[in-house]
Amino acid sequence: MSRDQASLLQVEALEKRFVIRRGPWSRPLVIRAVDGVSFQVARGETFGLVGESGCGKSTLARCLLRLIEPTAGRVIFDGVDLGRLRPPEMRALRRRMQIVFQDPFASLDPRMSIAQIVEEPLFVHGIGSREERQAQVDATLELVGIEATYRDRRPHELSGGQRQRIAIARALVLRPELVVLDEPISALDVSIQAQVLNLLRDLQEQLGLTYVFIVHDLAIAEYFCDRLAVLYLGAVMELAGREELFRRPLHPYTNALLSGVPIPEPGRRRRQGRIILEGEVPVLTDHRGCRFRSRCPVGKDRERCAEVEPRLEERGPGHRVACHFPGELVTARP
Amino acid sequence: MDEVLLSVRGLRTEFVTRDGVFAAVRDVSFELRRGEKLGIVGESGSGKSALALSIVGLIEPPGRVVAGEVELNGRRISGLPDRQLQLVRGKEVGLIFQDPMAALDPVKSIGDQIVEGIRRHRRHLGRREARRLAIELLREVQVPFAERRLADYPHQYSGGMRQRVMIAIALANEPDLIIADEPTTALDVTTQAQVLDLLDRLVSERRTAIILITHNLGIVAEFCDSVHVMYAGRFVERTTVEQLFRAQAHPYTEALLRSVPRPDRLQRGPLPSIPGFPPSLAHLPPGCSFAPRCPAAQEICRDRAPATVELVSESTPVLAECHFARERLRT
Amino acid sequence: MIRTVGGRLLGSLAAIFGASVVSFLFLRILPGNPARLILGPLASQQAIQQQVRLMGLDRPIYVQYLRYISSFFSGDWGFSYSNGRPVREVIATRLPASIELGLYAFAFAFVAAVVLALLSTYRHRPVVDGTVRAISFFGLGTPPFWFGLLLLLAFSQALHLLPGPEGRLGPAVAPPPTVTGLYTVDAVIAGQWGTLGNALQHLVLPAVTLGLAPFAYLVRLLRVNLLEVSREQFITVVRSKGVGRWTAYVRHALPNAFLPTLTAGGMVLAQLLAGSVLVETVFNWPGVGALVVDSILRQDYAVVQTFILLSAFAYVALNLIVDVLYGVIDPRVRTPTGAR
Repeated sequence: MSRDQASLLQVEALEKRFVIRRGPWSRPLVIRAVDGVSFQVARGETFGLVGESGCGKSTLARCLLRLIEPTAGRVIFDGVDLGRLRPPEMRALRRRMQIVFQDPFASLDPRMSIAQIVEEPLFVHGIGSREERQAQVDATLELVGIEATYRDRRPHELSGGQRQRIAIARALVLRPELVVLDEPISALDVSIQAQVLNLLRDLQEQLGLTYVFIVHDLAIAEYFCDRLAVLYLGAVMELAGREELFRRPLHPYTNALLSGVPIPEPGRRRRQGRIILEGEVPVLTDHRGCRFRSRCPVGKDRERCAEVEPRLEERGPGHRVACHFPGELVTARP
Repeated sequence: MDEVLLSVRGLRTEFVTRDGVFAAVRDVSFELRRGEKLGIVGESGSGKSALALSIVGLIEPPGRVVAGEVELNGRRISGLPDRQLQLVRGKEVGLIFQDPMAALDPVKSIGDQIVEGIRRHRRHLGRREARRLAIELLREVQVPFAERRLADYPHQYSGGMRQRVMIAIALANEPDLIIADEPTTALDVTTQAQVLDLLDRLVSERRTAIILITHNLGIVAEFCDSVHVMYAGRFVERTTVEQLFRAQAHPYTEALLRSVPRPDRLQRGPLPSIPGFPPSLAHLPPGCSFAPRCPAAQEICRDRAPATVELVSESTPVLAECHFARERLRT
Repeated sequence: MIRTVGGRLLGSLAAIFGASVVSFLFLRILPGNPARLILGPLASQQAIQQQVRLMGLDRPIYVQYLRYISSFFSGDWGFSYSNGRPVREVIATRLPASIELGLYAFAFAFVAAVVLALLSTYRHRPVVDGTVRAISFFGLGTPPFWFGLLLLLAFSQALHLLPGPEGRLGPAVAPPPTVTGLYTVDAVIAGQWGTLGNALQHLVLPAVTLGLAPFAYLVRLLRVNLLEVSREQFITVVRSKGVGRWTAYVRHALPNAFLPTLTAGGMVLAQLLAGSVLVETVFNWPGVGALVVDSILRQDYAVVQTFILLSAFAYVALNLIVDVLYGVIDPRVRTPTGAR
């Protein structure tokens, strides 16, 4: 198995299926939440996973960290296949990969003090003496811009933005290499979002972090990510560097997503004629042909799209698209 | 220009909490014309939702509207007994709320919930007739298989479909005014585009005036004619959408616009962010409430709350609450 | 869904099995030989041994249990030791009185709980709310027999408003012709309005006493649920249609608050059953509860045994009914979830 030396994370044909039983006699329903996803993330880069709710991006993130067990496929972290690790080895590796969740209100234990919350991962991994841990906690709090006077407060005394900083500190206190950010700013106020994004970017530069950034807001994805994968019903529709993806989106779904984002400039988009998709994200069980076809303005009535599932193919430098007719539907971009 | 439909003067809404009394809406005034699409922009805690509920008298204890006048169609509706306000709500004013998952009664069918609104204001209608109207409404908001889906319950609808039901309920009696509080925030991008499109078409066809409350400046730019920016319970800037995006009289508006990454241009580098966090309404600073976060704050800003400044910029009227609004627009 | 129903059925069977074991062991654990209890202290050793054989007390304990269970299900509940009549007959004659009292107690508990919960949560009125909470606190902490005695002292002894502990009717009033066994219903059927009034008068105090605990329990549950539901956004949405406050409250908040309360039905029945034993004694109510107390005093254990087992059946049956009812009332259970 050849391995790209520069890539920290390699995901190969990852699948996660959920089986839903409605009753003992009815046929079990198989939901393909993640359906054969492959990508690589280079050291120090920010890789974005973009998609609407139900596209499987959060399930995928949890599979990456083995917070849930994938059904098939491999996740290779720094050359190590996570699926082959025994529990103690996995636990040791967990130090190097952390996650920040969306809701800073739900993800912090209300009974613990700020210092305790940030110290806990060190404690769990049995790192350092009491004094060393305290020093590490202080250093990390400073890193995320929380004053030392907050050490003994409880989460409820903090604002949403501060809480998310604490959640970030908790993830960073172990000095991980990979951090998965699951919608880290979507629960925050607009005026706070920029603060947290800037903080995340500073930390990346200072600590040489690699990010997997899960996001539904395309404007933020475009701003923050180096490369992105657009997910639809558990599969990658398009994968490219940010400039390539946003300047030359080839998949109809990417185009529809982009044209759906309102632009803060009066009269602009309304004149340009946007693509409005019909219907909503369906639940995918078994399917034939392209999974986007039911809502696709391009392939809706095309036989090829109904019969053959398009593969993710290279259509430009580092630009891969899963579509039989890439680039047919294009939104005007500046 | 169209006649004035809604006029709000000096509206003030207070909440009594354990930490003391605080005002969520602080002496807010504005006018809305027939067919106008007004955007109210603000973050959580800015008082925008309290304002929406105050207008139609739906503020619940421990909240209370303590001052101000609301006139609708030339008739004063503030201070009316609830019995008379009930005849206004759902008939002259329709409301759409943010969270379609929480906005419908889980144990009543969709049909019953639409019919309830229809029959409340058209008592002469029979059940049958009201149901026929409900089906028509569902068709109008593009719920597929409307007739069959009337008997379904909310949990059988998706988020986008529930938001359509909400719109149908708000439109049921062809109101003159619709107040939509973050109507698409809980929805996905593609669904959001559908719902906004639908709302736009419906209000344009009927010349319905709409107040769209949102935190998303992109939605305002696309949807609205005029815009009011709300901060800490007050309108800090009021103008047309074109003017607002051209030049910002208030530093908060400017900071808000710049702190959001634009989806239409590639940018790198740090985002210009607003330091600090929105003030707690219970502990407002003595001067301008934005002063502690304002990059251009002077001595006077910390001491004295700014009065409303009336300006004209490129023949568009601008109302702003900033000591330096005039200077800011001139440069 | 089906899996949970299966689980519930299994749980029900386990509950009944447990109750049957308890009621069976009840007799064996008690001091003294049941045979001697039946035959009395003067019986000869030979007679007692014969009685032991007759009752199967010399067989292994599991055989005795199986025999006991099978005869229970075939409707043979044994004989009352004290008067020699079949237990089934003894209980059957007492049952209507208990059912009538139980129904009125439940009606009181239910109506009072709904009304007071609505009053205490509708609008923000701390005084009303505080009072209701105090009442429910009192109701949960007060032994029913003591509360019954207090009521008797106040309304019968002191104020002479209601009859004393003389049972279902005054001494001079004849029961109405039996149709259902419930005097109030039978009186209506027979058109005997005087008897109806008398029966109702006699029902007031025992029903309130017996209903106090379930009322307190229900009002607490309903109050919390109502507070929660009334803060939900859909109530504001209903109001935005122009529906009045009270209508929105009763039509939308109440049904939603009621659903979780329904599952407390089993608990309420348990309270009624347990309460009836002492309350009936206090009011001389000729029901099953009083019968159980008498039987305990007379060491007539066959009756007590049957009462325990029947209570278990009633409890299990009610819980099953509640489950089914929940499915009928809550559309989220009734209809399949998911967007189409």
